[in-house]
Amino acid sequence: MHAPSIIIAAVTALLAMPVFAQSQPAPQDMPVTGNVPLICALQTGQIQPGTSNNVIGLDGDTLRIAQFVNPDTLSVKAASATVRFDAVCNFAHAVRVESANNGLWPTDAQITQAPAGFAFAVPYTASVSWGQANGQFNTDAKSRRLVQQILNVDTPVAGQLDLKIDIAEGASNVETSAPVIAGNYADTVRIFLEPR
Amino acid sequence: MIRASALIAATLALSAPGLAMAQIAPEVGASDTDSATVGVIGNVPAQCYGGTLSGDGSLDLGVLIDLTTGRLRTDLATPGEVLVGSFCTSRSTITVNATPLEAQNFTVAPPAGFSRRVHYLASASGWTTTPASYNTATAANAAATQSRDSAFTGDITVAISDFSTDGGETLRLVGDESYRGVVTVTLTAVN
Repeated sequence: MHAPSIIIAAVTALLAMPVFAQSQPAPQDMPVTGNVPLICALQTGQIQPGTSNNVIGLDGDTLRIAQFVNPDTLSVKAASATVRFDAVCNFAHAVRVESANNGLWPTDAQITQAPAGFAFAVPYTASVSWGQANGQFNTDAKSRRLVQQILNVDTPVAGQLDLKIDIAEGASNVETSAPVIAGNYADTVRIFLEPR
Repeated sequence: MIRASALIAATLALSAPGLAMAQIAPEVGASDTDSATVGVIGNVPAQCYGGTLSGDGSLDLGVLIDLTTGRLRTDLATPGEVLVGSFCTSRSTITVNATPLEAQNFTVAPPAGFSRRVHYLASASGWTTTPASYNTATAANAAATQSRDSAFTGDITVAISDFSTDGGETLRLVGDESYRGVVTVTLTAVN
């Protein structure tokens, strides 16, 4: 009567083997995903304290010069200011500085001719400091046209972009220190943070 | 095949004990009545099944940053995943592990002011009184494993929350179309 017991035990063992294999831990993986779009953001600029020379201030987006010409000589008087923008680009990008007129030009369209010896446009320089990129952009006011300079930046940057506008004493599109024809003068400087 | 045949033959012999007795030499004290007891035994092994993932099986957060500042959004959220029909046939433990979201293409060290990693808290509730949880921002996660003293079947809800930028909230995240981490929930039977 011992033989049946042995046989049943053997059958049980045979059936049990695959069942025990299922008692391993049961892990479930769930990926967590997201994305960060490539962005650049430039906030409203502020004049850096202590950097203004002959500048009234920022009126909205307009940098107003206090005294454009020397009242005694009518030649351009030096003026400068640094405008700081909080900014961020989260990818390798480029900074593009653009002058709409290649200098300060009369806003009055009636001024179409300039007598000899008078300046009718005023050059200036725009310097940009952004992360590890530094560039100086010179307008020459020789012709009224759009000019630009591009700086490539190899890394994401977050911080302050400084734009310094500098009008030299006696700046002129003819001879240095030439008297300037009466009128209102303006230019538009645009800064772009953009893909390379 | 040889072993299987032998077992079947032995089982057939058991099925007719009277006949078997007739084929062997009579024992001392044999009578016209005999009986045998056959024990039928089985077992249910301690085992667990992790369930079936609801939805597409992923926790997608979408855009991670505030597009005006470049910093981590403060309103990040995603519907939880549910492990439907999980079970363990014995007492068990549930363990949650997780890896932070990391930029998959921007793999070098980020420049100053930036980060390429987002931490979060992953939790699994419904299995134990105290949900198992794991925070990728901390080195020690004592609550990552929780124990249950009885067999159980039910759904496990997996959720993520408490998002933070590695290195501090003032840092921006580098631009990358793919940030990825993994939450792993493990049920283990305990004998």
